[in-house]
Amino acid sequence: MSLLPEQFTALSPFVERWAVNGSAARANLRGSSSATEREAYYNAMMPLAAQALDYLDSRNWGQYEAAEDRLMAMLLSFAHVSIAVEIQKEDEANHAIARAFMPITHAPADEVFDERP
Amino acid sequence: MNIETGIFTPPFDPVVQALGTDPVPAGPYYREDWFELEREAVFRRSWLNIGHIAELPNAGDYIVRELEILGASIIIARGRDGTLRAFHNVCPHRGTQLVDGQGGQASRFSCRYHMWTFGLDGALISAPDFERFYADKADCGLKMVPVGDVGGLIYVNLDRGPITPLRAWIGEELCTQMDSTVVARATHYSEYVYEIGANWKLTYDNFQENYHLRFIHPKSGLAGLGKDNPFGYPVRYGFHGIHRTQTIWSNPEPQITPTQALTFGRAMQMAIEDGVDFGDNTKQYFALFPSLFLFASAIQPFSHMVYPISATRSRGVIRLYWVGADDSASKRFAREYMMATTRDIHSEDRIVIEAGQRGLSSGALSHIHFQEQEVLCRHLMHAVAAKVSAYQAEAGQ
Repeated sequence: MSLLPEQFTALSPFVERWAVNGSAARANLRGSSSATEREAYYNAMMPLAAQALDYLDSRNWGQYEAAEDRLMAMLLSFAHVSIAVEIQKEDEANHAIARAFMPITHAPADEVFDERP
Repeated sequence: MNIETGIFTPPFDPVVQALGTDPVPAGPYYREDWFELEREAVFRRSWLNIGHIAELPNAGDYIVRELEILGASIIIARGRDGTLRAFHNVCPHRGTQLVDGQGGQASRFSCRYHMWTFGLDGALISAPDFERFYADKADCGLKMVPVGDVGGLIYVNLDRGPITPLRAWIGEELCTQMDSTVVARATHYSEYVYEIGANWKLTYDNFQENYHLRFIHPKSGLAGLGKDNPFGYPVRYGFHGIHRTQTIWSNPEPQITPTQALTFGRAMQMAIEDGVDFGDNTKQYFALFPSLFLFASAIQPFSHMVYPISATRSRGVIRLYWVGADDSASKRFAREYMMATTRDIHSEDRIVIEAGQRGLSSGALSHIHFQEQEVLCRHLMHAVAAKVSAYQAEAGQ
């Protein structure tokens, strides 16, 4: 069984690092990753992000297969990483220090699976 | 001269002139004796936002919230009759704190100490060997706290005297506007919190002016700035008794990153599906006395409550609100992205506010200066000073 849906196997090298559950964990991963890691991930994901969302939107919410769950988690990590790469850029390392004082304590994405209709 | 105001004309409001132009005393931003006055004059006597109705959708749902400045722990519970009630988290037997944790589901509350047990309405249901007490059960219920909700937000009031009803305290005009925002219909939320080494007013004031945007948020805050309006003047100020509003200016030609383009389009589509009213309310910052913001934008609606802890320490709770559970990948992605975006901006503010507190607490300044755009900060200080004066007059101080 493949790690990701067939059309997104190009992203497989990034699964272990970026398919992370929990909004706070994803925010922390953005802060603890290196600029090189973030840029590599951003460059791989950005061209596929819209297609990946469209693909998952076409699947039944709440009935994702494991590979689709991983793709969803990777998109959510990408949401955080894209801000570092596109907006904060060279300020990201200092910005991570500031963000650490503002922990995420609740998010709909933490209610994994159990709230799906 | 360093005037650089672009072609946007800042709003004129006669209240701005009426509030005066004098420097403002610095002491209330760090002095402990002033903070002690505010504790009773402002926070004891105000309705304080403490949650959202989305936290208690069903009978038996309850939340527990700490109000450090009043030394109070409050339970808010939804009864079997659907009514929200608030109680001091205190067993009336001998004062033991009744509930640990932040909330959950319960059919009753039992004190661990001697097993006094209370219903969701606060009434004492049972107490072991109660026959040998010298009191009536009817007099031994949990101590009620006035509670209400407007626009989806829950407020409590710990005043010991007569209380102005919540809607009258906010004012019907603002209540009607807040009732119409997407926050009133929210069922889910995202939250991040912070502690800050700063006075609550200094913390709150940061979010009442846009003068700092270009310096503190040169990358993350560009939507509220532009060459036409380089200092981010609002389109309109509103003064509503002790409360205030501003309608923010939006850059008509914002620079959009690739991920913003991907996300905003999907988020706007969801906002349309959620029935968001794209009228003026989505550009309006509500600043409710003493320390609540509500900004019900179409795709990033959030509240921000600043809770004082001491004269120079505060706690902030920021929540983004959503209608309905996540039901698609795009919706989940957009919500995660929007939360991460606002958190980026707010975390930039926190550091500079603490730097301001260090300066003020040094006692180097007798006064600070508010510019025209900082009139909302001035208005808050006027309202606080009036409350403190009234309290002192009443207490014969």
